[in-house]
Amino acid sequence: MASVELRGLTKRYGSVAAVDNVSLKIDHGRLVCLLGPSGCGKTTTLRLIAGFLEPTAGEIHVGDRLVSSKARTLPPEARNMSMIFQSYALWPHMTVADNVTYGLKLRKLDRVTIDKKLAAILATTKLAALADRYPGELSGGQQQRVALARALIVEPETLLLDEPLSNLDANLREEMRFEIRRLHDEYRYTTVYVTHDQSEAMTTADLIAVMNGGRIDQLGTPEDIYDRAQSEFVARFIGAANIIKGRARDADHLEFAGAMLRVTGAALVSGETAAIAIRQHDISLSARAPQDPGNVIRATVLRQVFLGATRDYLVAAADGTSLRVVTAPGNLVTEGSEVFLTLPPERCRALAR
Amino acid sequence: MRRRIDITRPVLWLVALVLAVLILLPLSWLAVYSLTDKARHFTLQNFVTLFSDPDFLDPLLTTAIIAVTSAAICCVVAAPIGWLVSRSDMPGRQTIRALMTASFVTPPFLGAVAWELLAAPNSGLLNQLFRALTGAESDAHLFDIYSLPGVIFVISCYTFPFVFVLVANALDTMPGELEDASAILGAKAWTTARRITIPLALPALLAGALIAFLQAMTLFGSPAILALPAGFHTMTTKIWSLFQYPPKLELAAAAAVPLLVLTILLLQTQRALLGRRGYSVVGGKYGPPRRVELKGWRWVAMIFCLIVLLNPVFLPYLALLNAALSPNATTFVTPSTLTLHNVVFVFTELSATALVLKNTVILGTAAATIGTILALVIAYVTTRRLIAGSRILGLLATAPVAVPGIVLGVGLFLSYTRPPFVLYGTLWILLIAFLTINLPTAYQQLQAAFATIHPELEEASRILGATRLTSLWQITAPLLRTGVIATWCFIFIGVMRELSAAIVLFTSQTKVLSVLIYDLNESGDLAAIAVLGIAMLVITFAVVLAVNRIPMFGASAGARLRNS
Repeated sequence: MASVELRGLTKRYGSVAAVDNVSLKIDHGRLVCLLGPSGCGKTTTLRLIAGFLEPTAGEIHVGDRLVSSKARTLPPEARNMSMIFQSYALWPHMTVADNVTYGLKLRKLDRVTIDKKLAAILATTKLAALADRYPGELSGGQQQRVALARALIVEPETLLLDEPLSNLDANLREEMRFEIRRLHDEYRYTTVYVTHDQSEAMTTADLIAVMNGGRIDQLGTPEDIYDRAQSEFVARFIGAANIIKGRARDADHLEFAGAMLRVTGAALVSGETAAIAIRQHDISLSARAPQDPGNVIRATVLRQVFLGATRDYLVAAADGTSLRVVTAPGNLVTEGSEVFLTLPPERCRALAR
Repeated sequence: MRRRIDITRPVLWLVALVLAVLILLPLSWLAVYSLTDKARHFTLQNFVTLFSDPDFLDPLLTTAIIAVTSAAICCVVAAPIGWLVSRSDMPGRQTIRALMTASFVTPPFLGAVAWELLAAPNSGLLNQLFRALTGAESDAHLFDIYSLPGVIFVISCYTFPFVFVLVANALDTMPGELEDASAILGAKAWTTARRITIPLALPALLAGALIAFLQAMTLFGSPAILALPAGFHTMTTKIWSLFQYPPKLELAAAAAVPLLVLTILLLQTQRALLGRRGYSVVGGKYGPPRRVELKGWRWVAMIFCLIVLLNPVFLPYLALLNAALSPNATTFVTPSTLTLHNVVFVFTELSATALVLKNTVILGTAAATIGTILALVIAYVTTRRLIAGSRILGLLATAPVAVPGIVLGVGLFLSYTRPPFVLYGTLWILLIAFLTINLPTAYQQLQAAFATIHPELEEASRILGATRLTSLWQITAPLLRTGVIATWCFIFIGVMRELSAAIVLFTSQTKVLSVLIYDLNESGDLAAIAVLGIAMLVITFAVVLAVNRIPMFGASAGARLRNS
């Protein structure tokens, strides 16, 4: 049983660093999501952990074993890991049972044990009736579960998942998210999960590492990442946040569009330009001036859309910054009117980067 | 930690070296000979002779005429048929496609012999029929195949399938919505055809025309069989004649250079044309194209196609069958004169048959086996990008496409008649020739096969604990099996029908089937040719049919750009 640790991991292609000095320690039994837009280096990181790539610099340790370094890279087959691929990579010439038991046969287990383990995993993944089908005869969700079963049956120390749900439709995706988490909790291996979908990351992960440009931008629990974004990139990438830029007056006050906003989060430096993030649904919008004038700014409604459960506004602040605001559906203000926005101080997160 | 012993690198370097020797050595000697005199001193005299002596200028001009007219005829005939088969509701479209494949795989030199049987001025079956029907004089004739138009006609017969395949494929893959979009905007059928369909198919047609041009330019068999009796030369027959006693190797090398240069240039153009065709499928999901209803013209269209196919398929095959079964190759067989004598003669009495069949089988098996393995390694390396410079390996493997058979023959002759490799007179030199000629197709086919196997399939095996070799054996090999078998078969067929390189490399002990057929034609033994030719066709069709059952390769058979 093992933790996974990356130390200064770097992978360069020519002069481009796909993964740039990444350090990350994943305790045994935790599920970590590498989250980021395409091209941020998350898949490269995963393939480095799997041993399909050799690092340009840095090291990967699994438990107390050094498995990757510039000098020596343990081949993937010697790492006692499992991986679920974006394409599932089910072997089309083998039945479901053959696919799933492949790893056990490589480990030269006896027939009886193999059959027992196969029956167990097929029951867990609800595939028992499909054991003799070929992958081409399965639906997308079933293929996904075969890939899961094949990866889990060998009882790996580490499970790697590369965008495992990106080929499924929305309903199945939701279902499989919880399935992956459930199986993780059941077997307790160390899991690294790569995805570009923030809600996928939120529902499955213990820890989320938001990656950008080959680096980890922020590492934290889903709550940390969502509520306490440290950078503009994370604030924009996770959830729907407005970014407001203004001039700092002191450590927790920002001058913006003719108003003074009290903010929390990182300490501001007086006189410097600074950015804060505030979520769309944290802003309250009203046609009349609120009684408490603190943290209120004026804006003009550019357009509004009724979305059923909510009403979505696009407004322009006095300095031209456009903001999105989500309100209750009954809160209707016509386009072109002037409105008052209240930005609660505890929701205005000053960004460190 | 286990130290990884990587034997892949030395193996790959070895493959690269072998490839380089295979391709660069003959071309280098070709260059050296063309630029030197007998004493190997530098001179441009060979090229001066080539471009000033009427003995060479005439074949050059003849070749140009043949290539241009054949290409034009091919386009005019193949493009409408391609459209009818791909886009109309003409009856029997599948049959027409199958017949196209038949003319595609018929060795051109065999077609030329068959047309001798049909349209030689005196003995030709069609001319006999003409005299019988009209009561014309015994020296009158309708057709004379031993003429420039005759050569052009026969070459076109076996070249237009290339154009057909390219045009039909382009039309097959062209999304029907593109035409529908034009129609919905108000364009009439003809406007849509003129503004949308034809421009989209044009690159494929031009590429087809270039292939037809190349084919007509580099073909040896048909002009040798039809032009030499008529007393004129093409470049290929001229090169061949320079090998006859007394050999003029420097001139032969120089004469091969224009063929080589033109081929390379035209292939570059073709690649550019087809490369840009990518714009015909941009984004979105497309349905299959709608078929145009021909209404009353459906049957007219089919009859037109069948009449065209009379020339490369029906008439020649009937003529061969007739010659094989009649006591005299050039009389019409009747139930009373039907005889199996020719078959018995060829397989029991003709002394050359046994040797030639043995040579052909040995060479076919060896070339197919070695070629498949070589292509397999190169395709694996290039699709998986295992080493730096794998692209160069791929380029080397496809390079022989640009070397016409007879040019390669000349180069190999020059390379392997001297130390350190004295291979002339052995089967080795033919093996090298056949390997080189078939390598590009084999490589392209296997590369396509590898490309359909997602690398993650192998990686999934490795992460579960299998080594690279185990993964290759358990996962990749079973998935590739059909592709490998198909490639092997294609090389075997390719060896069987290759004439233009073999004709300058064979010796009396290393004759192959195609050369024997050519020899038998010289000695006028057309009945024996018919028997051998039919046997050859039967084997070829059996293999093609078997391979066409493998979906992956059904379409790419059209990628074969080789001539015989």
